[in-house]
Amino acid sequence: MVDPIHIISSALGVAFAIGIVGKLGKNVTIAVMLSTLAFMAFISLQWFMAFFSGEQETTQIFTAGFKPPISINLQMGFNEALFTLLVNVVGLLGGIYLIDIFKKQSKNVLTVFLVLIMGLNVIIMTRDIFNLFVFMEIVSISIAGLVFMDENLKSSQAGLKYLIATSVIAGMLLIGIIFAYYFTGTLNIDDLIATNLTTIKGGGIVVFLILISIILELKPFPANGWALDVYESSTPGLGAIISAAAATASFFVLSKVMDIAGQEWYYYISLIGAITFIGSNLLGLKQDNAKRLLGYSSIGQLGLLMIILGFRDILGDQTPYVIFGILVSHYFAKAGLFWLSGIVKAQKLTDWAVIRKKPFFLFLMGTFLFALIGFPPFPSFFAKWTLVMELVGSGNVTWVIIVLFGSMLEAVYLFRWFGYAIKGENEHLEVFKIDLHKMIPVWIVALALYAVGYFTAQMTEVGATINFIPLAFVGVLLAIDFLPVFVKNTIAIAGMLLHFYFVYPDLDDIRLLFEVIFIIGGALALIAGYAYKGKRSGFYPVAILMYAGLTGIIEASTTLEFFYGWELMTAGSYFLIIRGKRSMPHGLSYILFSIGGAYALLAGLGMAHVGHTTFGMDILNNIQYLPVWAYALIIIGFLTKTAALGLHIWLPGAHGEAESDVSPMVSAILLKAGVFGLVLVLIGMGAENNQYEMLTYALGWLGALTVILGSIMALFQEDAKRLLAYSSISQLGYIVLGLAVMSHLGWLGAFTYVINHFLYKFILFMTLGAVVLRVGTHNMYQMGGLIKRMPIAFIAVLISIIALAGIPPLSGFAGKWLFYNALIAKGWYFQGVITFISSGIAFLYLWRLIHTVFLGQLKDNHRNVKDISIWFSIPIFVLLIGLLTFSFKPEWVLQPLGNMIAEFFPTGQLTWNGGTAISQYGYWSGSVLGITIGSIFMLILIWLLVSTRKAHKVKQFDITYSGERPERPETTHVAYNVFEGVYKAIWIATIPLVETFWTRVTNLLHDTAGFTRRLYSGDGQSYMLHIVVFIVITYLVIIGG
Amino acid sequence: MQYLTLQNIGFATGFILILIGIWGFLTQKNIIKIIISFALFDTGTHLLLVAVAYIKDRTAPIIDSSVNSANAVNEIVDPVPHALALTAIVIGLGITALMLTFTLKLFKHKKSLDITKYKDLKW
Amino acid sequence: MIKKVFIFVLLLGVGSIFLSLSDNFKEQKELKGIGRYYAENAADELGAANLVTAVVVTYRGLDTLGEVSILFLTSAILGFILSLKKTGSEDDKQVFLPASEILVTASKVMIPIIFIFGAYVFINGHLTPGGGFQGGAIIASAIVLSILAKPESKISHSFISTIESIAGIGFIGAGILGIVLASGFLDNRIMELGTFGTLISAGAIPIIYIFVGMKVGAELTSILVNLKETKNIE
Repeated sequence: MVDPIHIISSALGVAFAIGIVGKLGKNVTIAVMLSTLAFMAFISLQWFMAFFSGEQETTQIFTAGFKPPISINLQMGFNEALFTLLVNVVGLLGGIYLIDIFKKQSKNVLTVFLVLIMGLNVIIMTRDIFNLFVFMEIVSISIAGLVFMDENLKSSQAGLKYLIATSVIAGMLLIGIIFAYYFTGTLNIDDLIATNLTTIKGGGIVVFLILISIILELKPFPANGWALDVYESSTPGLGAIISAAAATASFFVLSKVMDIAGQEWYYYISLIGAITFIGSNLLGLKQDNAKRLLGYSSIGQLGLLMIILGFRDILGDQTPYVIFGILVSHYFAKAGLFWLSGIVKAQKLTDWAVIRKKPFFLFLMGTFLFALIGFPPFPSFFAKWTLVMELVGSGNVTWVIIVLFGSMLEAVYLFRWFGYAIKGENEHLEVFKIDLHKMIPVWIVALALYAVGYFTAQMTEVGATINFIPLAFVGVLLAIDFLPVFVKNTIAIAGMLLHFYFVYPDLDDIRLLFEVIFIIGGALALIAGYAYKGKRSGFYPVAILMYAGLTGIIEASTTLEFFYGWELMTAGSYFLIIRGKRSMPHGLSYILFSIGGAYALLAGLGMAHVGHTTFGMDILNNIQYLPVWAYALIIIGFLTKTAALGLHIWLPGAHGEAESDVSPMVSAILLKAGVFGLVLVLIGMGAENNQYEMLTYALGWLGALTVILGSIMALFQEDAKRLLAYSSISQLGYIVLGLAVMSHLGWLGAFTYVINHFLYKFILFMTLGAVVLRVGTHNMYQMGGLIKRMPIAFIAVLISIIALAGIPPLSGFAGKWLFYNALIAKGWYFQGVITFISSGIAFLYLWRLIHTVFLGQLKDNHRNVKDISIWFSIPIFVLLIGLLTFSFKPEWVLQPLGNMIAEFFPTGQLTWNGGTAISQYGYWSGSVLGITIGSIFMLILIWLLVSTRKAHKVKQFDITYSGERPERPETTHVAYNVFEGVYKAIWIATIPLVETFWTRVTNLLHDTAGFTRRLYSGDGQSYMLHIVVFIVITYLVIIGG
Repeated sequence: MQYLTLQNIGFATGFILILIGIWGFLTQKNIIKIIISFALFDTGTHLLLVAVAYIKDRTAPIIDSSVNSANAVNEIVDPVPHALALTAIVIGLGITALMLTFTLKLFKHKKSLDITKYKDLKW
Repeated sequence: MIKKVFIFVLLLGVGSIFLSLSDNFKEQKELKGIGRYYAENAADELGAANLVTAVVVTYRGLDTLGEVSILFLTSAILGFILSLKKTGSEDDKQVFLPASEILVTASKVMIPIIFIFGAYVFINGHLTPGGGFQGGAIIASAIVLSILAKPESKISHSFISTIESIAGIGFIGAGILGIVLASGFLDNRIMELGTFGTLISAGAIPIIYIFVGMKVGAELTSILVNLKETKNIE
C-alpha cells in the first residue's frame, strides 16, 4: 500500500511544482492538480478498504525515522482513513466543480487549493500538537485566501475577519501548547494524554486553552460570526469545501485532542454543542439568504456532533456509528447543497423557485434536505434513531429533548426553503445554466447518500431487517417518470396489488384490516389517476413513497421498521399534499406537525426500549421506564396524524387544497395510519391496567372535544373540500374517543368508524374532487343545481352523507349505536352528550353539500359541464357497493371484527342472533332496519310524486336585484353563510384558540431569533469580542474562576 | 524576590504583550492598528517560548568550543522552544503579510481603514 | 465608557487565566522531556552542532515543511489577490521618486555582499546560529535594497517562481529520499554524517537548508515584489 506520507509529499510536491508546470498552460495544470487530488483520495481509499476488511491494524508513520515523541508521527487507523477519505473525495469533487473558476484565475489558486486539502489531511493524521497548530494555520490561511477567488466587497471583508479571528484563536492554542510543553516536556498528543495534564497544577488551564481554541475552530455559537460571513460571501465551491471537508477535519481534531482533557470535559463539550445546535438553528429561522442559511445549518450540525462527542462514554460502541451517520449525511448533503446553490445562482430563498424549471434538480435538493433532517433511507435517520435509543436508555431524556428540539428548528427553515422551491412564484426568474463539471459532483454525492444510507442500515442487526423493496419501487417510478400517466398508473397499481398479494398471508386480523384500507384502498384511489392527461410529473414516486411507508408500518416487526415506515409515509404524504395549487403553507404546517409528532414518537419508542434487549414491536406491550410518559409521548406522536384537537391545524388546508384524487388518499387512507398506531399502543397498554386510566380518560376527552369542535368548524365553511376536511377531524375524534373507552363495544364502534370513515370520506372527497375538476371552484356558493348535470355524483354524495350523518338505515348508524352503548356502559355521559350534539351539527353541514351543490339553480357557466369522469366513478361505485353491503349486512363485518377485538377485550361482547346485534341496552339489525326504512322512504316518495304532479317549475330568471349588481354577488346566494344565525349563538366555539396558540409560538421563536441575531452586527471587532467573551465565560464556568 | 527571575520576567512581559494585543483588537477601529495588535500578540507568544526554554546560567543549544558535547545536557538551554519559536515567527510573518494585503484590497473598495465601516455582512 | 469598563473586565479575565498558568512557575533547573533527549543524543544521531537546527530540520522536519508551505501560501495568495482585475490602463503606471545617489552607489556594493552573507548563513545553519529562514530573509533584504535603489526595475515573476519551485521540489525530494535511503520522511541521514562540527557534516541538513534558504528567499522576494507592484491607491 502507498505510504500515507505521500498524501503530503505528492500534494506539496505538485503544489511547489506548479510554478514550473504552470508554464505548460492552464488545462495541463488543472489536470495535474486534479490527478494529484485523485491520487490522495486513492491512498485514503486503499487504507480505508484495508481497515474495513479488518486485515489492517492501525499504523504509525514516523517522520525522520525516530519514534515519537522524539519526532513527529502521523497515525493511520480506521478513523483517520475514513476522515482523510472524506476530505480527499470532497477535495477532488470540489476541484472538479471549481474548474471554471480555476480557468479564470491565476494558477496560484490551484496551489492554494491543493495545499488546503493537504493541510486537512495532516491535521487529521498528525499526533503532534505543535504540528497540528502549524497545519491548522495552513488551513485557515488557505481558506482566507480562497475566499478571494470571488473577490468583491463582501468577500474581502469576510476574508479579513476570518483571518483575524482564526489567528487569535490559533494564538490562544499556541499559548496552550507552549505551556503543555513546559509542564510535560513533550508535544506528542499520546504522551500528553498519558501524563494526565489535568492533575498537574496549572495543567487544567493548559487543557482549557488547547481545547477551547479547538472548539472555537468548530465555530461555537455565538462566537462564530466570522465563519458565517465566509459561508455567505465566498463562492459556493469553497463553501462546500469548508462545510464538508474543513468542518469534518476540525471535528476529528476535537475528537482526538479531547482525550487530553479527560472525562470532566465531556459534559462541557456537549453543553457547548447544545448551545450551538439550538442557537444556530434558531437564528436560521430568520435567514433569507441561502448560503448564510447553509452556514447556520452547518454550524448547527457541528453542534450536534459535539453533543454526541461529549456522550461518547455513554454511547460506548455506538459512538462511531452515530457520528458516522450524522457526519456523513451532513457531509454529502451540505456539499451537495452548496454546489447546487452555485448552479442555481439564487441568493434569496424565495428565488429558489427557479429550481423547479429543471425538475430533477428539485429531486436533488429534496434528497439533500431530507438527508439533513434525518429521514430514511439516509444515514442520519439510523444515526438519530440509535442516538435517541442510547440517550434515553442511559436516562438522558433532557438531552433527547435538546437534540429533537434543535432538529425541529432546523426542519422548520429547511422545509420552508423547500416549500419556496416547490411552490414559489418563478415566472420572473431566468432558467439557470448547467455545466457538466458542476453537475457531476452533485450527482455523485446525491447517489452516494442513498448508497451509504443503505449500508448504514445493513450495519446494524435491527436495521438489516428493513425491507427496502418498496423504496426501490419508488426509485423505479422515479426513473420512468418521463412516461405518460396511464403506463405509470398501471405499473403503480399492479405493484401495489402484487405487494398485497405477497404480504397478506402473514398478517394478523387487525393488520390485515388496515393493510386492505391502505393498499387496496390506495390502488382504488389510483384508478382515478387515469383521468389525468400528460405525464403528471413526480406524482407516482411520491404517492408510492407514501404507500411504501404505510405498508411499512403494517409489516413492521421492530420499532425501527415501524419508525422507518412512519417517516417514509410522512415524506411521501408531504410531497402529495404540497402538490396542490395553494398548498405551500399547509404543506409546511403538515410536515412540521408530522416531524414534531415523529420526534415525540421517537422519544417514546426510545423509552419503550429501555430494559429490553430487542427492538421487537412487542416491547410496546411492556414498557418499563416511565411507562405513562412513554405511552403519552407515543400517543401524541400518533395524534398528530389523526389531527386531534390542538394538533389539527395542518389538516383543513392540507386536505382542502390537495389535488382531487389526492384528498381521498390523504384523508380516507392516510389518517388511518395514526389510528393504526393508536390501536397498537392501546393494545400494548392492556385492557385492565388501571395505571393508565388517567391517560385514556384524557384521551377520551380530547376525542370528544375534537368531535364537537371539528363539526362546529365544518358548519361555517364555504369551501366544499374544507368542509369535508373539518368533518374528518370530527370523525377521527369519534375514533379516538371510541378507542379511549377501552372496552369491547368502544373498540367495535371505533373500528366501525374506521371502516365507515374510509368508505364515505373516500367517496365524498373523490366525488367532490371530481366535481371541482369539472366546475373549477371549491366554493359551494359558486355551484348549485348540479343534480341535473351530474346525477351520478349526486347519488354518490347523497348515499355517503346519509351514512356519515349516522342516519339509519346506513352503516353510520351502526357505528353510532355501538358508540353510545359503549359510552353509557363506561359511564362517560358528558362525552356522550357532546358527541350526540355533534351528530346534530353534522347533519346541518352535510345537508349543505346536497342543498348548495346539487340543488338550487344551475350557474350560468356550469350549463354544459359533464358528469364526473368515469375514472373517478369506478372507485366511487366500488366503495358505494361496499358501503351498502356494510349497511344491510353489518354482521358480515362486525362479527369477525368482534372476534378480533375479543382477543383483547373479551368481556361485554355483542350477542348475535342472526343479523340482530344485542347489547345490554338494546338490539339492532341492519337488514330489518334497512328494509323498514327503505319501505317508508319509498312510500313517502311515491306520495310526494303523486301529490306534486301538478306543481309548476319556477324559471331560473324570475329574479331581480332591482337593477343593481351587488358588490359581493355571493352574498345574494341563498346558500351563502347559511348558518349566520347559528354563528351568533356559538361563535365562542369558533375562536381559533389553537391557531392563535401556534402562531404565538412561531412568532415568539422568530422574534427571539430576530433579536438574538443582532449579535452578528457585521463589525469585525465585535466578532473578536465574542471570541474573547466566549473564552472568559467558558473559563469561569469550567474552571470556576 | 524569589519570583523576580529572568524567566518570570520573560513570562510576565510575554503575557503583558499578549494582553495589550487583545486590548488593541477590542478597542482599535483602525485596521492597521488591529494588525499591529496582532503583531504584539504574536510577539508575546514568542517571548513566552523563549522564557520557557530559559534555564539560568546556561548557553545557546549549539555545541561548539564553549560547550562540552558530553556535558551538553547540563550546559545548554532547551532547544525545542527555540525551534518552535522559529516556526511561530514565520507563521506570524505570513499572517501579517496576508492581513495587510487583505486590508489593501478592502481599502480599495471603500477608501477607509475603519473596521466599523465594513458591516455589509451581518445577521 | 461602559464598553471600556467591560473590556477592562474582560482583560482581567484573560489575565487571570494567564495568572493561573503561573501556579507552576518555579525556576527551571534541569532539561526535561524531549529537550533533554535532544541535548544528549542529537549531536550523535544527526551530527549537527546547532541543536535547534537538528530539531527544526530533522526531528520536527514536518513542521518546517509546513512553515515553508505557509510562506509559500502567503506568496501565492498575495500573488493572485494583487493580480486580480489588473487593468492595462494608464493608472497602472507607477511613479517613483528617484533614489538617492548614496543609496544607488551603496547598493551596488552591498547587494553582492548581502547575498553572500545570506548564503553563508543558510549553508552554515547546522553549525552556527542561523539557517534557511534567516538566510532567506537576508537574501530578500538584498532584494529590498535593490528595489529601493532602482524602484522602476522589474523583477521577473517567472524567474522567482521557477527558483521557488525547484527549491520546493528539492526539499520534498530530499524528504522522500529519506524514506527510500534512510528510515523516514525528511530523515537527514541519507548522506554520511561527516566529521562533527565541519561544513560538510550533519548529513542532508545543509542540502535541505540550501533549498529552504532559496525557497524562503524567493518567497519573501515574491511577496515584496507583489506588494511593490501594487498600484497606488489614491
